[in-house]
Amino acid sequence: MNARPQNAEAPAHERFPLKPGKTYGLMCVVPTRTENTGSAAEKQVQSWPAALSRELLLFLVTVVALGLVSYFFNAPLEEPASALHPPNPAKAPWYFLGLQEMVSYSAFWGGIGIPGILVGLAMAAPYLERKRGGEGVWFHHSRSGANWTFLTLMTTLGILTLIGTLFRGENWALIVPW
Amino acid sequence: MSIREVAVADEAGLLGRIYRSIFRVRPVPQTELERSQAVASNFFFHIHSAKVYEETLKFKKTLGLGLFSLFTFVVLVITGILLMFYYVPAPEQAYQRMLDLRGVVSFGTFLRNMHRWGAHAMVGLVILHMMRVYLTGAHKAPRELNWVIGVVLLLLTLFLSFTGYLLPWDQLAYWAIMVGTSIASYAPVVGDQIRFFLLGDDDVGREALLRFYVLHVVVLPAVLSALIGLHFWRIRKDGGLARPSTDE
Amino acid sequence: MSDHDSKAAPKGRREFLTLLSGSALTVAGLATAGASLVYLRPRVTYGPPSRLSVGKPELYGSGSQVALPEAKMVIRRQGNKVAAISTVCTHLGCTVNPSETGFDCPCHGSTYDERGEVTGGPAPKALAWYRCTLAPNGEIVVDKHQVVAADTFLEIQS
Repeated sequence: MNARPQNAEAPAHERFPLKPGKTYGLMCVVPTRTENTGSAAEKQVQSWPAALSRELLLFLVTVVALGLVSYFFNAPLEEPASALHPPNPAKAPWYFLGLQEMVSYSAFWGGIGIPGILVGLAMAAPYLERKRGGEGVWFHHSRSGANWTFLTLMTTLGILTLIGTLFRGENWALIVPW
Repeated sequence: MSIREVAVADEAGLLGRIYRSIFRVRPVPQTELERSQAVASNFFFHIHSAKVYEETLKFKKTLGLGLFSLFTFVVLVITGILLMFYYVPAPEQAYQRMLDLRGVVSFGTFLRNMHRWGAHAMVGLVILHMMRVYLTGAHKAPRELNWVIGVVLLLLTLFLSFTGYLLPWDQLAYWAIMVGTSIASYAPVVGDQIRFFLLGDDDVGREALLRFYVLHVVVLPAVLSALIGLHFWRIRKDGGLARPSTDE
Repeated sequence: MSDHDSKAAPKGRREFLTLLSGSALTVAGLATAGASLVYLRPRVTYGPPSRLSVGKPELYGSGSQVALPEAKMVIRRQGNKVAAISTVCTHLGCTVNPSETGFDCPCHGSTYDERGEVTGGPAPKALAWYRCTLAPNGEIVVDKHQVVAADTFLEIQS
């Protein structure tokens, strides 16, 4: 990040290009910053080490976190599968419990209709939201409508998933888990 | 003298030449030119441009969720391959192999734990990553396609986790897949056909285990890896991570 | 494609050939995808057979109902009539248990009456009744792929 400005006095191996008129793979290194036409200059830094070191750090965090969890908590393993003994209640993996919760209200709409519409909406989202602006900023005020719609949908799904995961007991009856 | 020979001019002798044949720059590049080359001449780093916008490196901008998802996937691939050495996708043996993993295989419990918790984590991380992208408006033009690829990656992640869920062949696995595939059969007209196609039979059994295994260890990881590559490449081609426009 | 080609080939023919080869590639691609799907749809299955013999009618006393857990059905006999009713819950595929009022699902609490109609819980439709036939050796054969209307019994002579 403390990029040294390159100038004519630099030693030969730091000068670029070395031989004018010859084609190299890397075309050009512009010292310090890039000037974009039509917009103010944006500060750029070398990917090595700025980005790569951060990535290495995140990788180590991932491995250590997963390692610690795996060291202290054992993955569940129940009785061998048996088609003759359905558990009460039988539950899908947690990420489908929102669907299972909806299925208990309406088979088609809960299991197929609403999930299909949600996936369709998700895919269409960037094409529906055509107004520019607010990129790269959390909760930008110009996008509050879209953000709130999105958050409402995600929260609803989250709550349904939570209900299906924690608050459904025997016979799919509502229970209090504590 | 070519550029890379200059860059590693310090290296000499046979070892130096071998090193130079693999890497084009010194282990710790010193100059701006070398740093650029370190990225541009390395297959794995080349997914980056030589320079990135400092704004997008801030942790609070992305919370690192995309990279966390990727790295969790890497951990899952590694632990998954290791688990494959001891797993047999047949109803008579699958569960026994789970017990062996816990009882007699060195580090078996730890690897299984890591694969399982990693799988749950990846689903969560991908969902959070999607929320981050939307809430920072990073899905909008010109990044529409990358968002759509991202939605497909989410669905693949769910399906990957779901197919893996059956493999331990315990009660949890069996009935979760029974419930999950029954939800799929609610699709009008073709619902039962879809379920039959997925399970390879009318019910969860031998064929379903084999099918889910093949999908889980070959088909879905291959498709997911290819799309991840496309996803990253598009980040670069769409002008890097989303950041506030400086036009205003 | 050099300039020479574009001069030599009239525009109409080039477009026609592009269209033709493009269509051929599309058809070939679709056919390959279709063939893969056909390949992946099994023509034989290795699980329990969908068409199975459940023994002679004498095994089932008049007015009785016998559960066959492996086959996921009950055999009901009323006088000279025999029927097979599925015990697979129409909600999410669990196996229902016969009860005093009909059938109860242990997974999510769906209840059915004696005819298999839904009386409560999340189940979206009634339990299936399977077609029963009498094989030449006198045994009842149930075909789980043939769902019949409720109260469809097989008449047997005895």
